[in-house]
Formats: sequence, structure tokens, C-alpha cells
Amino acid sequence: MLTTAQQIEGWPQTIAQFERLVGSTQDNLVNFAFHLLGNRDDAEDAVQDVYVQAYRDRVKRQHITEVRPYLFRMVRNRCTDLHRGRLRRTGEAVTDQICSKEDTFSLVAAQEQSKELSRLLDGIPRREAEVIRLRVVADLSFAEIAIVVGSSVSTVKSRFRYGLDKLRSALKAKGETRWTVGKLSV
Amino acid sequence: MDCRKAVRLMTGLFDKEVSPETEQVREHLASCTACRIRFEESQQLFEMVRQPSRVAASNRFGAKTMKAIVNEAAAEAATTGKSWRSQRWLRLTLAACATALLIFLLPSLPSFLGQRHSNAAFGVLAQSIDAMSSAQTLHMTGRMRTIPGDNFELIGANYDFVPLEMWRQFTPSRWRVEKPGRTVVMDGASSTLLIGKSNSYMTASPQAGFVEWLRPLLNPESILQNELDAAKAKQSDATVTEANGIIRLTVQRKAEGVSANSWTLNKSIQESDHTCIYTFDAATKRLQSLQVAIHVGSQDIPVLELNDIRYDEPLPDSLFALQIPAGATQLVSAGEMSQPATAIVGPKDAAEYFFNGLAQQDWNAVLGVYPASAVPDGIKKYYGGLTILSIGEPFQSGLYRGYFVPYQVRLLDGTVKSHNLAVRNDNPQKRWMVDGGY
Repeated sequence: MLTTAQQIEGWPQTIAQFERLVGSTQDNLVNFAFHLLGNRDDAEDAVQDVYVQAYRDRVKRQHITEVRPYLFRMVRNRCTDLHRGRLRRTGEAVTDQICSKEDTFSLVAAQEQSKELSRLLDGIPRREAEVIRLRVVADLSFAEIAIVVGSSVSTVKSRFRYGLDKLRSALKAKGETRWTVGKLSV
Repeated sequence: MDCRKAVRLMTGLFDKEVSPETEQVREHLASCTACRIRFEESQQLFEMVRQPSRVAASNRFGAKTMKAIVNEAAAEAATTGKSWRSQRWLRLTLAACATALLIFLLPSLPSFLGQRHSNAAFGVLAQSIDAMSSAQTLHMTGRMRTIPGDNFELIGANYDFVPLEMWRQFTPSRWRVEKPGRTVVMDGASSTLLIGKSNSYMTASPQAGFVEWLRPLLNPESILQNELDAAKAKQSDATVTEANGIIRLTVQRKAEGVSANSWTLNKSIQESDHTCIYTFDAATKRLQSLQVAIHVGSQDIPVLELNDIRYDEPLPDSLFALQIPAGATQLVSAGEMSQPATAIVGPKDAAEYFFNGLAQQDWNAVLGVYPASAVPDGIKKYYGGLTILSIGEPFQSGLYRGYFVPYQVRLLDGTVKSHNLAVRNDNPQKRWMVDGGY
């Protein structure tokens, strides 16, 4: 999480400021990318690309004060590009990737839960699913999500509400009275 | 509030930020069973999809990413190299290159205490480079075991400490280094050395090597690069630790230029086995102190301490204007020296020519190998009329590019002096000149 000072400071301009930015945002961004790409190595590659791009564009982005949501926006766009590229190359679904040999048990568990969430969100419109994912995975506020997706806050809230309604209807239609995420019963 | 509006505003209860309507919505939910059930279902769904497991970045991710960013900075600097508009850009570029080198070398530095630790150390050092490159002025005060008036490189385990002070202004680039009996000032256009003992001075280019080993200290962001260059070349062993708000870079280095003759061993920091300890303030990320100890036998003997380093002090212009005392002798370059009466063919010949001139008090002859516009009065009084007892075979030692010629002379007062005269001819004119040791 960026500190207030960093948010006011705006887009980082020096190597030292970028070092602080990486330290304070890397876990949240990698977690978000992980849920979009399905494996940590790819997630880290995507997030690293974003940080380098953020450095490269530091001058033209220096007016931006809401750094955190913009980084999520960049990660989201980068993952979308990677996703499309991967599908063009191999035709494989990203969430079916096998864990790398470095993945630990907790990574495997997280991967299972991510797959389950994707399975649930696949049944509702993409834009509504995206807002829900940004709220529950990236832990962004609706105002921040509005920056990420480039819409108004009221539109974001509507998508969230409609998304939850459709998710609930879909689950009821399938007769799933107890929903599970990964191995955890809810 | 009606149910339609309540359902719309209910979304705000799932936000991270509390909206003004929250209280009204909660009041409605308390009184409307249908809306409350709808909200509870949504809440259950929301809690269900919230991810209990989060994935963190791997331990190596931070360092790897910073390496990529620094590489980007270095590449950027390289492509804009021809259009550097200011010294600041040059310094930032050098800083970026130093950081890149640092990251490159981190895996090879042997004493890091685990991955997380090295990431933290890297981060602080990268910030140090950045912080130092933003300094406007630098003022360092300390002490050094050396001989007052002698060259800035000379150290000795048995010498007393003498004070040492250095000032650096980055824009425009000017600096001053001073110890008792010797001052060097670089005013942006040239550097001037003033030697009080012989009342002589020399003016040369800004890059003249008047301050020798101390020179890198005037560019603090280059310290890391210099040290890590040495680590890369396996000339040193570097360690970084952090404790109590202080980052400590310890560099152990072997004597350079070790040769069969040990005359120069332990006479300069570079020609000694030594340890440099740089400390950086963890809060400001700037160089805080430097201590250098040479290893002589089983002893570690401190020879240089810079414990007071101040940044961004206003420095008066007068610091960078050196007043040459009236009557001071100007030291000259090889190309400006007087011609000797006979050809000098080697280091021993040069030493003989020098001492013969002193013995005969033939000052014009002395100037054939002594690089000055006139022979300083101090030399005339001390050495004039001496008797040559012996002149030995020249030898080389350490990093010195010239030769040392052993000699023994008897002065007019009867004192016998034995020493090694330093002579060199590594100049474009290949002129032999006396460089020290008298």
C-alpha cells in the first residue's frame, strides 16, 4: 500500500522513489497478476514489465497522483496482452497451466482458489466480473477501480451489483446451495 | 428511503471507503426484511469470492525488478549521452551505471546474509547512490597518518595523524583539498597545487592527479562503482550490513603493485593490504563516514578517518580561489623544463645529474632534471654543496611508474642522508625528471 506521502508525491521520478514503489506495491500487483495469469512466474514477469514501463514513462505520467490504481490498470492491460498472445500461440487456457517446480503448497492452494473464482466469474459478463475481481482480489475501492477500468464510479458500482446478482442467480440455477472456493467450504 | 434506492446504494456497503449514505441504507435494512435478505445473500457471496490465500512476490522479485529498472536508466542515459545538458544528468547517469554494476555484482559478493537481506542492502545502496547524486555540496573533515606538506597519497603506520579537509561543489564543479603544508584547488577551469614547505605551486588541468587516492572521495556516488569494480576484478572482498540505522560497506583489498622490492609497501593506501569501512545513514541514504585501516603484520592500523561529512552547506567562492604567495616557485611540466647540458639516458644518470648540480650549486643544471622555473630556496639551502657518497642501482616498486635510485649524500652541516630518489620519464617528451625522495 502506498503511503499518503507517496500518493501526494505523484508518479515516482527517481530510482530511489521507484525502489520504494516496488517495495510497497509488489505483493499486491503480483497477487493480482497471478489471478489473471494463473502462475506466479508469469505474474512476476508481467509486473516487472509494468514497473519498467512505469519508469520509462515517468515524465509523461508525472501529473498522475493516484499511482496505485494506475499500476493496477497497467498490470491488467499487460496481463490481457499476455493472455491473448498465449492463446494465439498455444490455444491453452491460462488457468490450466501447471505450477512451476518452485511453487509451494500455498501456491498450489492459491492456484486452486483462483481457478475456482475464475470458474465462477466466467459465467457472468466480462466487465462485471472484472469489477468484482478488482474489488476482491486487488482490494481496490470503487473509486480506484473506476480509474483502472476507465469508467465512472457509479458505473463501477452498477457493474459490481449486477455482477453479484448474476453470480447468485447462476449458482442458484445450478443448485449449488453451498459454494466452495478451492478446498474451503463456505 | 425506498427499496429501489436502498438496493442501489447497498453497493456502497461493499466499498473500502464509507459513503455518506451508509447510515441511511443500514436504517432501511433494519426495517425491510426483503432488502436485508438480499443484502445478506450478497454479503455471503462477497465473502465467498474474497480470496483467503494471497500470493506474494518471490524473495528475488524486488532485486530483479530494480535491476531491470536500473538497466533501463543506464540504456536511457546512453542514448541521450550526446545531449547531456547538465552535470546533474551526468551524475545521475554515473549513479545509474554504478547501481547497475552493484546489482550485477550482488550475487558474487560473498558475505550477504541471505536473499531478503541482500535485497534490503541493495535497496539502501541504490538509494544512497541516488541520494548522493542529488547533493549540491559536500564538506568532509577528518585526519590522516601522513607527513604535513608531503603528497596526499603518502601514508605511514608510524606517522602521526594530521588534519584533512575536503570541499566539493557540484554545480559548477569545483573542489578544494587541504592538509597542513599542501592545498589543491580545482576552480572549474584548472587545478592548482600549492606546497607550503617549498613555497612552490603548479597549475594544471582539472584532471591533474594532485590529490591521488583521495580523488574518488570527491565524487561520492562513484565510490560504490570504484569499490565494486575492484570486487568484480576480484581485487577485494565486499560486505554490506545494516544495523541501528546505519548501512556499512566494508571492503577488504590487497596491496596493489606488489613487486620484488617492497619500498612502496604500506606507503599509500593502494599499496597496502587495507580495509575501507564506508557507513551510510539509513535515513538520508548518504555517505556518513569513511575509515581506512592498513594491515601491517598482525595489526590493523587506522590511517584515514573522515567522520564528519556534511551535505549542501553553502560554500563561499573564496574556498575555490587559491592565493599564490609572493615569490613562490612555479613547478612546470616536462615540456616546459630546461634542457640538460648533456643527454640523460636513464634513471641513474638522472639522479647523478641532479646530485652533481646540487653539489656544484649549479642551479641551471639542477633545472635540467628538476621540473620548476627556479630551484626553491629551501632546496638550495639544504642540499647546496653536498658531497655524493654513493648512488645505487635503480629499482621499481609498487604502483610507481618511475624508478627509485638509492643514494647517500653528506650535507654541508655534516649530516649523512640515505634515501631513494624518485625519478620518472613517463611523459610525452620522455624527459627524465626528479619527482621526490629528496
